[in-house]
Amino acid sequence: MIEIDRELLNAGDQALLAIMILIIMFGMGASLTPRDFSDALRRPKGVIIGFLSQFGLMPLIALGLALLLRLPPPQAIALIMVGCLPGGTTSNMFAYFARGSVALSISMTAASTVLALIMMPLLLDLYASGFAKQIDEAMLAEGAETGFVIPHINIVISLFLVLLPVGGGMILRRFSPGWAKTAEDTAGFMAVIVILFLLGSVAIRHGALFVVTPWTLYAGAITLSLAGFAFGFGFAALWRVEPRQQRAISLETGIQNGPIAFAVILLSFEEPLRSQMLWLPILYSTSVVITSSLVTLRFRKTGAADDAIFRNNRVHRRLFGETFRTAYPPSVIPRNLKRFHESLRRD
Amino acid sequence: MEPLRATGRHLAELYGHAAELFGDLPAFASRKEALSWEPVSFRELYERGLCLATALIDLGVEAREHVGLLGDNRFEWILADYGVQLCGAADVPRGRDVTDQEIAYILEHAEVRVSFVETRQLLKRIEPLREKLPQLRILILLEPVDDAPAGVLRLADLLGRGAELRARGDRRAEERIAGIRGEDLFTLIYTSGTTGVPKGVMLTHANMIAQMNNIRMDIRCTDRVLSILPIWHVYERVFEVLSISRGCCTYYTNPRHLAEDLANVEPTFMGSAPRLWENLHQRILKRAREAHPVRRALFHTAYFLAHHYKESVFYLTRRHLFLKPVHPVAEAAGMVFHALRWFLLLPWYGFFNAAVLEKLRLVVGGQFRASVSGGGALPREVDQFFNYLGIPVLEGYGLTETSPVIAVRTEKKLVIGTVGILLPDTSVRIADLDTGKILYPDESAPHLGRGRQGEIEVKGPQVMRGYYKDKEGTDRAFHDGWFRTGDLGMITFNDCLRIVGRCKDTIVLSSGENLEPGPIEARLGQSNLIEHVMVVGQDRRFLTALIVPTQQAATEFDGKALHDALAQEIRERVSTAKGFKAYELIRDFRILPDNFSVGDELTNLQKLKRHVVAEKHRELIDSMYPHETGGSARKGGRR
Repeated sequence: MIEIDRELLNAGDQALLAIMILIIMFGMGASLTPRDFSDALRRPKGVIIGFLSQFGLMPLIALGLALLLRLPPPQAIALIMVGCLPGGTTSNMFAYFARGSVALSISMTAASTVLALIMMPLLLDLYASGFAKQIDEAMLAEGAETGFVIPHINIVISLFLVLLPVGGGMILRRFSPGWAKTAEDTAGFMAVIVILFLLGSVAIRHGALFVVTPWTLYAGAITLSLAGFAFGFGFAALWRVEPRQQRAISLETGIQNGPIAFAVILLSFEEPLRSQMLWLPILYSTSVVITSSLVTLRFRKTGAADDAIFRNNRVHRRLFGETFRTAYPPSVIPRNLKRFHESLRRD
Repeated sequence: MEPLRATGRHLAELYGHAAELFGDLPAFASRKEALSWEPVSFRELYERGLCLATALIDLGVEAREHVGLLGDNRFEWILADYGVQLCGAADVPRGRDVTDQEIAYILEHAEVRVSFVETRQLLKRIEPLREKLPQLRILILLEPVDDAPAGVLRLADLLGRGAELRARGDRRAEERIAGIRGEDLFTLIYTSGTTGVPKGVMLTHANMIAQMNNIRMDIRCTDRVLSILPIWHVYERVFEVLSISRGCCTYYTNPRHLAEDLANVEPTFMGSAPRLWENLHQRILKRAREAHPVRRALFHTAYFLAHHYKESVFYLTRRHLFLKPVHPVAEAAGMVFHALRWFLLLPWYGFFNAAVLEKLRLVVGGQFRASVSGGGALPREVDQFFNYLGIPVLEGYGLTETSPVIAVRTEKKLVIGTVGILLPDTSVRIADLDTGKILYPDESAPHLGRGRQGEIEVKGPQVMRGYYKDKEGTDRAFHDGWFRTGDLGMITFNDCLRIVGRCKDTIVLSSGENLEPGPIEARLGQSNLIEHVMVVGQDRRFLTALIVPTQQAATEFDGKALHDALAQEIRERVSTAKGFKAYELIRDFRILPDNFSVGDELTNLQKLKRHVVAEKHRELIDSMYPHETGGSARKGGRR
């Protein structure tokens, strides 16, 4: 177990972090409209597959990694918690650059954010209670008066609290799209700042932590996103959704809403557990920027051909009428589109 | 994966192969409304082309005959071209901006008996000329009309006639196609009269096919090309044929609808002139200036990062301007510096690229994979701006006489400040302006003579057969079998062609207008106030002049009075009333303090050494173009 002698973040840092999370979640809301939620219902296939991937695969991957890497219980719980998070807004941006379906990405983010209220406590109970029991026993053995149980109620309450600014952002969007745009952009910038801020404050006060952190923790944080991308992609391909949706689902699965983890840990857990748990989402949030950038670059290449066809078809329908069907020579159809092409032509 | 492409021994075969390969894919689209366009497929186009060809044969058009094609970009133009090619003839194209005098000259010189005419308006201008053109028998109107004027055929009627003949088994078009040879002309393009009369540039099927084989641009059938440049120029023509051969759809737009069409068509490729990029550059800068201070700051930060990041990327991939041999140690040091800078800027660039630059790229439709700029020099600042922004602008170089591409940047060899690498099968040599001695390639010189300036001479399969009925002009254009471009250039140390200026006097304005400074200078020189005058304007939007006043003027007037007197003199002598064209008018001038001297600004024969004067007074010249970004500093590909 890693020893963290003082609080990882002091009261001031925590207050700042809380404000940043507020801004990020508000900006996330400002990027959403009620339409995005209803759209999620209108394209159920992609969203359902995304849902299964996000709340079915990802927590399992996290659990598997925690067991495989023999993570200490607090970090194991933190890893599983990261695995159970809803998708983050940055996934929409990465989906855009990865030639994925941005609409699906937004729908999945919207749907998973709401569903997280139910799914997160449920999944934590399912996968993390074993680790919680270990902590409980250890604490009792050390002579603590009370043991440890996962604070379900607190988690639900803190999730509600985090979602409040999202609602606020949506209301702003309804009345002032201009300001909502600014809020959205600010949040995007803040998402980067928050990571730098956390890394910075840890480096200043707990510089040694970078060195004493066991490799398994780094491996867990990095592998979680990479495995999420890989399994998400494979899972979506298995269900034969379009390549653009496969890429969106892959990114959505691997990219989690880190700030929610910070908020839940800050609001629901006591010291010293709080500090021990916080480190992992910080590592995850840092590494996911890099892993998702790399995956995005890869998708840009592999998806160029099918995306070009998608866009060309879209322009053709826009300019030549909705009923226009573009007939390509067979050799032009990329392999990942082959089985869709026939069906695309028929519909 | 290599893009699928249609090819053939000549254009008619290429057109047929494209119809076979790409069938029902849209080949050309014409705008009816912003969101309502009419597509025509490759197969349909080819079939209608065959019908038109049959009708033309029926009208008596012979193989290898010159058929006029007067008009601007529209689907019917391409259809007419198909008709002409498929009946084994060659077209003589010209845009609507042609003068009456030019029409008469061209149609007569090319012995045109049958001509397509785009609009009724243009038809009205041709009617009175017909007296002087006894051989001109048939005019065919391109624009769809209900009833054509007397003695003029409608395109639709010809198509109907051709279809009828073909339905009855007429296969004369196929026979004609079988008879086409590579060395036959596919077009006869008359260049704007630079000196006196227009010259007919004979371009063969083999010329165009060589361009198709050698232009290695990644254009495929999922691409969309927006067409805006005048189609009768071979520069635009080569893109139309390239689009046909690669199966991608060409969308005809015009300057009025360009912004809208960029957004709706989301073109992935476009042939363009520097003007377009200058306008887009101005538009983006204006938008940034007017933006909220926070957004403006974000824009400047993003561009700053992109500039330095991309500069390092270009250096590390050896795509920087390489004008002098570099010592290996200096190069290694440069590598280390740029690798470090690249690494340090990477995360910041990554963020700003996603958050800010992408939105700027959307201004140009967002889907551009690349764009070619030609027909004039791209100002360096604009060139850098777009390439650093992430919109690869591939500047190319060529002339009508070289059908036109001699060199073009590729994405792998995108060296800002050059016009890229030579096309395959194309050789260039650099000849000394005065002695004609070959400076590059020169076995005896270090680095084969790279970095030496001189006239660019070209040999390659794209070089024209010659000027039509002008043996003397053709002979003058060649130097031991090498075509003389009249442009001053050099080969850089990473084997790119760099254009430095012009060795002929011809000035090409940024609008693409060609003009001779000689007659203007001669007219001004007649004034007793003007001793010497040099007209400037290469790659600029308008003409200006540098003037050395006569002794008499200098003593008679002083300061402001001299300036006013000269302004008056210029206005009177060079005016549209005196027969000059609007773009030949002098918009500004500067007075030079010292007289020109023989051996410096003048040759022994009192001829102006333009490049010397331009170099000496560069700042003075720049001061006359406050809103332009240094065109004289570097001169790139012209048509």
